[in-house]
Amino acid sequence: MLLSILLLIPFLGALALILWPGSPSSARLRDISIVLLAAQCVASFALLLPFDPADAGLQLIEQARWVHVIGLDYALAVDGLSLPLVLMNGVLCLVAAIASRSIENRPRVYFAMLLVISGAVNGAFLAQNLLLFFLFYELELIPLWLLIAIWGGANRAYAATKFLIVTAVSGVLILGAFLGLAFVTGTMDFSLRPVLAGELSLTVQLILMGALLIGFGIKIPLFPFHTWLPDAHTQASTPVSVLLAGVLLKLGTYGLLRFCLGLFPEAWQLAAPWLAGWAAISVLYGSLAAIAQDDMKRMVAYSSVGHMGYVLLAAAAATPLGLMGALFQMVSHGLISGVLFLLVGVVYAKTGTRDLNVLRGLLNPERGLPLTGSLMIIGVMASAGIPGMAGFISEFLIFRGSLQPFPLATLLSMVGSGLTAVYFLLLVNRAFFGRLAIAPGEVVNPRILDRVALREQVPAIALSIGVLALGLAPALLSNLSEAATTGMSLSTGGLS
Amino acid sequence: MSAPSVASVAPPVLPDQEELIRRLLSDTPLLKDTSDHLIQVVNVLETYGIVLDAYSRNLVDQGNKQLLNPFPVFRFFHEGFSLKRLWDHLLGDRINFEYAEYCQKAMFWHGTGGLDAYLDSEEFESACQKIIQCKSARDPLLAITNKLYPGFAPESIRSLTTIYCLGLFWRIMSDIFIDLARRYAIKEVVCVRDVVHHIRDGLVAAAGSPITYKVTIGNEEIWVLPPEAGLTFLVDVAVPYVEAVFFRGMPFLGTVSYNAQARQISPDISDFKYGALYADPIPSMGAGIPPSLCMQDMYRHLPEELSTWYDDHGRGQVDVHVQICVSFQKSMFCVTNGAIAGTMPHSLDTDDPEQQAANRAYAESWSGRLMGCQRGALL
Amino acid sequence: MTSELSIPIQTAWLIPLYGFAGMVVALPWACGWFRRQAHRAAAYLNILLTLLAFAHGSLILQEVLRAGSVDLVFPWLTVADLDLDISFSLSLTNMVALELITGLSLFSQVYSLGYMDKEWALARFFALLGFFEGAMSGVVLSDSLFQSYFLLEMLTLSTYLLVGFWYAQPLVITAARDAFLTKRVGDVLLLMGVVALCSFSGAMGFTDLYVWAARDSLSPLAATLLGLGLIAGPTGKCAQFPMHLWLDEAMEGPNPASILRNSVVVTCGAIVLLKVMPILQYSPVALVVLLVIGSISAIGGSLVAIAQVDIKRTLSYTTTAHLGLVFIAIALQIPVLALLLLFSHAVSKALLSMSIGGVIASTNCQDITELGGLGSRMPATTTAFLIGAAGFVGFLPLGGFFALAQAIDLLSVRSIPFMAIFLITNSLTALGLVRVFRHVFLGDSLIKSRRAAEVNWQMALPMVALSVIVVLIPFLLVRLESLEGLLAFPLWAAVLVVASGLAGLVAGALLPLSKAWSRSLNPLLRWFQDLLAYDFYTERFYRITIVNVVAEISRLAAWFDQTIVDGLLHGVARFSLSSAESLKLSVSGQTQSYVLTVLVAIVLFLTSVSWFLT
Repeated sequence: MLLSILLLIPFLGALALILWPGSPSSARLRDISIVLLAAQCVASFALLLPFDPADAGLQLIEQARWVHVIGLDYALAVDGLSLPLVLMNGVLCLVAAIASRSIENRPRVYFAMLLVISGAVNGAFLAQNLLLFFLFYELELIPLWLLIAIWGGANRAYAATKFLIVTAVSGVLILGAFLGLAFVTGTMDFSLRPVLAGELSLTVQLILMGALLIGFGIKIPLFPFHTWLPDAHTQASTPVSVLLAGVLLKLGTYGLLRFCLGLFPEAWQLAAPWLAGWAAISVLYGSLAAIAQDDMKRMVAYSSVGHMGYVLLAAAAATPLGLMGALFQMVSHGLISGVLFLLVGVVYAKTGTRDLNVLRGLLNPERGLPLTGSLMIIGVMASAGIPGMAGFISEFLIFRGSLQPFPLATLLSMVGSGLTAVYFLLLVNRAFFGRLAIAPGEVVNPRILDRVALREQVPAIALSIGVLALGLAPALLSNLSEAATTGMSLSTGGLS
Repeated sequence: MSAPSVASVAPPVLPDQEELIRRLLSDTPLLKDTSDHLIQVVNVLETYGIVLDAYSRNLVDQGNKQLLNPFPVFRFFHEGFSLKRLWDHLLGDRINFEYAEYCQKAMFWHGTGGLDAYLDSEEFESACQKIIQCKSARDPLLAITNKLYPGFAPESIRSLTTIYCLGLFWRIMSDIFIDLARRYAIKEVVCVRDVVHHIRDGLVAAAGSPITYKVTIGNEEIWVLPPEAGLTFLVDVAVPYVEAVFFRGMPFLGTVSYNAQARQISPDISDFKYGALYADPIPSMGAGIPPSLCMQDMYRHLPEELSTWYDDHGRGQVDVHVQICVSFQKSMFCVTNGAIAGTMPHSLDTDDPEQQAANRAYAESWSGRLMGCQRGALL
Repeated sequence: MTSELSIPIQTAWLIPLYGFAGMVVALPWACGWFRRQAHRAAAYLNILLTLLAFAHGSLILQEVLRAGSVDLVFPWLTVADLDLDISFSLSLTNMVALELITGLSLFSQVYSLGYMDKEWALARFFALLGFFEGAMSGVVLSDSLFQSYFLLEMLTLSTYLLVGFWYAQPLVITAARDAFLTKRVGDVLLLMGVVALCSFSGAMGFTDLYVWAARDSLSPLAATLLGLGLIAGPTGKCAQFPMHLWLDEAMEGPNPASILRNSVVVTCGAIVLLKVMPILQYSPVALVVLLVIGSISAIGGSLVAIAQVDIKRTLSYTTTAHLGLVFIAIALQIPVLALLLLFSHAVSKALLSMSIGGVIASTNCQDITELGGLGSRMPATTTAFLIGAAGFVGFLPLGGFFALAQAIDLLSVRSIPFMAIFLITNSLTALGLVRVFRHVFLGDSLIKSRRAAEVNWQMALPMVALSVIVVLIPFLLVRLESLEGLLAFPLWAAVLVVASGLAGLVAGALLPLSKAWSRSLNPLLRWFQDLLAYDFYTERFYRITIVNVVAEISRLAAWFDQTIVDGLLHGVARFSLSSAESLKLSVSGQTQSYVLTVLVAIVLFLTSVSWFLT
C-alpha cells in the first residue's frame, strides 16, 4: 500500500489542484503543492522502515490485474536500486516546488504538472511491468514538455519541440523493444521478473538491447543524442531544470541498469567494451564542450552529459563496486546538479543574465550574491570530485569498479573528471571573483541587484548539506543498496 | 522570477576641469548642492566625528604611554582596563583602532610636509638619543637592541610622534564635525555650501594651533616636538595628512597586486592614487580593503536620520557599508573643498587681477589633481 | 581498540578535527551574522583550537616516545570487495610532523593577527586556515593511501580558496586558478595511481600495500605507470618542475598563508611521497623520473630564485629547489635524510617567510630593488631573516647544516653527482639569500623604505619565538634522534658543506647589485637573465601548449556540437517528421498542442499494441 501512496498523493493532488474551487492565488497553489510533495517525500522516507537492506530482491510488492489482455498489469515493488532514486525524487520535487516562486502564468496547470511528474517518476522507478513502466515513462514527458513550452525562456518553443520529438523517439524505441521482446518470446507477460531473454539468440538480444540502449541513451543523454538537453535546460525555468537534471535523466540511467543490463545480461557483456568506449567519449565530449560555453546554464547542462557518462562506464563494467558507484553517481549528480541549477537560477533572477563574459565579482559581500557564490563553490567542487562531497566517492567507486575490466576507458574518464575542474573553475573565477560588474565595461557604478532572501536559498542549502553528508558518510547510501547492486552485477570484479 | 529590467539612463556627465575651477573660484561646492547630499554629508561627518574622537583619544594616549614599549598589548585600552572591556575587545565589539594606525602609517610612510622634515632634523635626533639614554637605564633589552640596531629606537619614536600628531589633528577635526552636526540640527547649516564654509572656517581658525609633543620618562620631561620647532596644525599636519590619506594612500592588497614583476604599483610614491578620493566604494567590506574597518566604525554610530535614508536606497541595510563609503567619499570631497577654500592665496571676492590670477592658478593646480579622482561622487 | 590506550591516544582522531572545527566555528562571523562586531573572535577561537591540537599532539608525542607507535583504525565504507578505513598511524615521525604543522600553524595564525590587522574578512581567512590545518594534520597522520589522497585534494581546495582570498584582485584570480588546476593535474594522475593500486592490491593501508608490493610482481609497464601516477600528486604539491608554477603565483595570496605553503604544505606532499616510497622502489623508471625532477627543480629553482626581484618569489623558488633535494633523497630511498631536510627546511623557511612578511608590511613593497637600509631599524625582522637564512643554508651549525652534512655523508657512498647537486644548491641558495639581504636590509634607504618602523608585536612575537626555535633545532634533533645518528658524518662532509655555503656567501657578497633593475647589456647574459627571471618562460610555454590545445579542442567540440550533431538532428527531424515545423508553430496555443500531443502519443501507443496483437 505504501508504494501506491507514492503514486496516489501526487496524482490525486494534481487532480485536486485542477478542481480546486474558486481562483486560488499562485502562492496558495504553491503552498498546497508543497504540502502534498512534502507528504510524498515523507512517505518515500517511510519506505526505509519496512525496507530490508539485506534483501537483494524486490520488496513491498503490490500487484493487481489491470488491462491484463494486453499484458499491462499494475505491479509495483522496490529494491535497493530504486529506493534511493525514489527518495531523491521525493526531495527534488519538493525542492522544485519550493523554488517555484511567483509563477504568474497559469499557476494551476504549472503545479499540477509538477505533481504529475513526481508521480510518474515514482511510478517508473517502482513499476515491475514493462508496459506499466513505459506508461509512466511517457506520462512524465508531456508535463515536462508543457513546463518548458509555457514557462520557459524566449526560445522555449524550439527547445520544447526538440525535447518532445527526441524523447518521443526514445519512447518509441523503448516500446518497440518491449513489444519485440514479448513478440519473440511469444508470451503476453510483460512483468519484469521472469527473465525471458535468456532463451533468445544473442543476435535478437543485441537488437532488442540496442533499441533500448538508444532509447535510454537519448534520455540520459549520451553523445551524440544529447543536443536536446542544453537547449531544454537553457529554456526551462529553474525548478524545471532541477527536475530535468536531477530526476528525469535518472530515468534513462535507471532504465539502462534495470532493463538493458537486467534483461539482456549476455548481450550486455558482449557489448560492454563498446559501451565503455562510448562512455569515455561521452564523458570527454561533454566536458570539452562545457569548457567552451559562455552560458552558465549550458555549461552545467553539458557537465550533465559528461557526468552521466560515468554511469554508463560503471554499468558497462557491471561489477558490484561499479554498480554501486553508478547508483552513487545518480544520486550525487541529482543533488549536485540541483544545487548548481538553483544557484544559476538565483544569479539569473537577480542579474538578468547568465553570460560568463558579462558577470563579474558576484562574491562582493554587500552588493553581490555572496551566499550564492559560497554555495556555488561547494557545488562546483562537489561536481569536480573534491573529497568530502558526494561527487568524489561516486567517482572513486566507479573508477575502482571499472578500472580492471576497462582500464583505458576508465583512465580517459578520469581525465574528464579533471576537465570538470577546469570549466567549473572558470565559472567561479569569471562570475564570482573580481570586481563586481553585471555588464561589459560596467566599471563605475554597477546596477544594484535585488537582494537574495535567505529563504530563497533554503533549497540550495538543504541540497548542499545532502551533498556533504553523502560525501562524508557514504555508508548511509551504500548500506541501503549494497545487496541489490551486488545482486545485479555480472562479474565479481574481484581481485585478479 | 522575472529578471529585473535594466533602466536605460544616459550615463551622467562628469564635471570637467573648467567646471571644477569654476566651482572653486565661485564659492560653489564641488559636490552638487542637493538635499540628499546634505543629509549624507552632515550625518556621515557626524558619525565620523564620533569615530575620530575615539581615534584621537587613543592615539594621543598611545603617544603618552607607549613610548618604546616592545609589546603594546593593551594600547587600545585608553579608557582604562576592565574585564568587560577586554571581553568586548576580544569579541570585536569596539572601535577598530587598527584603522587609525593604518592612516598613521600612510602619513608616516609617505612622509611629506613640515612634520616629516623635522623628524630628520638634528634637534629631533638629539631628543631621541636623550630618550634612549633615559630608557636604556631601566630597560636592558632596549639597551642591547639599540647597540645592535641603532636605527630602531629613533624610527619607533618617529612613528610614535606621527601617531601623537595625528591624534592632535583628529581632535580638532572631530570637534569641527560634531559642531557641524550641532549647527545642522539647529538649522544653521542648510545646504552643502554651508558645510564647506563650516569646514573652511574651522580649519582656518585652527590653522595656527601649535603642534608640540613632550614625553615624560621617570620624572624627566623631554620635548620631542618643542614649541620652538614652530610646527602648526594646518601646514605641518593637516596638509600632509590630506596628501597621504586623501590622495596617495597605500595600495589595497585586495585590489592591487604587489608582485614586483607585474609592476602594478608605481616605484614613485608621489604618483600613488590609492587615497580616499580615488577609492572605489563597491568592494567595501570585501577582503583586503582596510577602510572597511572605518566604515564599520561609522556604521556603529550612524545617526538615525542617515540610517533611515539608507533604508530607502541601494539594498537598504544589506549594503549599508557600501552606502556609507559612497557618502563618506562625498563628504571627504567637501573636506577637501573646505581645505582648498581655506588655503586660497587671496579672498575669492578680490578685484585685484593679480590676486585673481593667483587664485585661479591655485584652483587649477588642485583641479588637476581632482580630475583623476572619483568625480562620479560629485554628481 | 584496547582499553589500555591512554585517553590522548584514544582521542587522536580529534586532531584533524580541531582544524575543521575551527572552520566551522568561524562560519557565523564569515557569513556576517554579527553585524556590529568585528571578526576577530573567530580568529581567537581558531588560535585556541590550534593550540589545543598542538597540546594534544604533544601529549601523544610523549606517549609515543615512551611506549612506541600506535595505529588507530575506524571503518568508514565497506562496499563489495572494497574496504576503506579512517586510519591514523601515531608514529614518532608522524607525530613530529604533526607538531611541526600545528606549531607553525599556531605561529602563523598569531602572526596573521598582526599582518592582517587591517583586514575586515578575518573570519573567512581563519576559517580557511583552519580547514588548511585540519587537512594537513590528517595527511601526516594518515595510514592509508586513500585517506592521504582524500585529504590532499582537500588541501588543493583550501589552497585555491586561500590563494583566492583577495578574490577581487585580478592576479589573485589567475593565481588561484593556476594553483588549483596545476595541483589538480597532479591529483588526477595520483587518483589514477590510487585507483589502480586499489584495484591491483585490494588494500589501501600503507602496511598492506608494502606487503603487497613486495609480494606481487607487476609487469614493468604497469609498475612504471603506477609509479608515475603516485609521484605526480606530490610533484604538484611540492611545486616541483614541471608543476612548480603555482607556488610562484600563489605568492599573490596573504603572507601568513604563504608561510604555511612554503613550509608545511610542501612538507605534506613530500610526506605522502615518503609513504609511497616503498612501493616506488619496484618502479625503476619512476625513481629515475623522481631524480630528474628533483635535480632540475633543485638547480633550476635555485637559479630562478636568484633572478627574481620580488621578495616573496625569491623565497618561493628556493622552496622548489630545496624540495628537489628532498625528492632526490626519496628517490635514493633515504627516508631519514628526506625527513631531516624537510624538518630543517620547514622551520627555517617559515621564519624567512615571516621576516619578508614584516618587510612587506612596513614598506608596502615587494620589489627588492626598491628597498634598502631596513637592517638597522627592524631588529626582529632582520634577526629573523638572518637566523632563518642561517638555519636554511648549510654554513653555521644549525638545522640546514646538519641536514646537508648528513646528506653529503649518505650520498658519498651512493652517488657523487647528486652530492654535487646538493652542494651547488646550497651555494646558490646562500648566494640568493645574501643578495636579498643586501638589497633589502643593507645599503641606503630608498623612497619606499625611508620611513619604516618595526612591525607590530603580534608579528614580532612569533618571529622572535621561531628565531629561538631555529637556533635550538640542533638540540631538538639530538633529542629526537639518537646522538650518534646525527653527528656521525665525517669532518670532510662538514667541510664540504661549509665550503659550499661560504662560496655562495662570498659570491653573494661580491655580486654587483643594481638598484635600477637594469638588464645586462651583454645580449647573451641578458637573454639568460630574462630566461631565469621569467622562470624559463614556463608560464608562456604552458599557455601556448596545454592551455591553447585544451581551449582549441573544446571550441572545436562546441562547434561540432552546434553544427554537426545538432545539424544532423535537425536534418533527421525535418526528414522524418515534416510536421515538426507545424508542431513548433502551434506551441503558442499551448492547450491545443497539448491535446494534440496526448492524442499522438495515445494513437502511437495503441497502434503499436494493436500491431502486436494482430
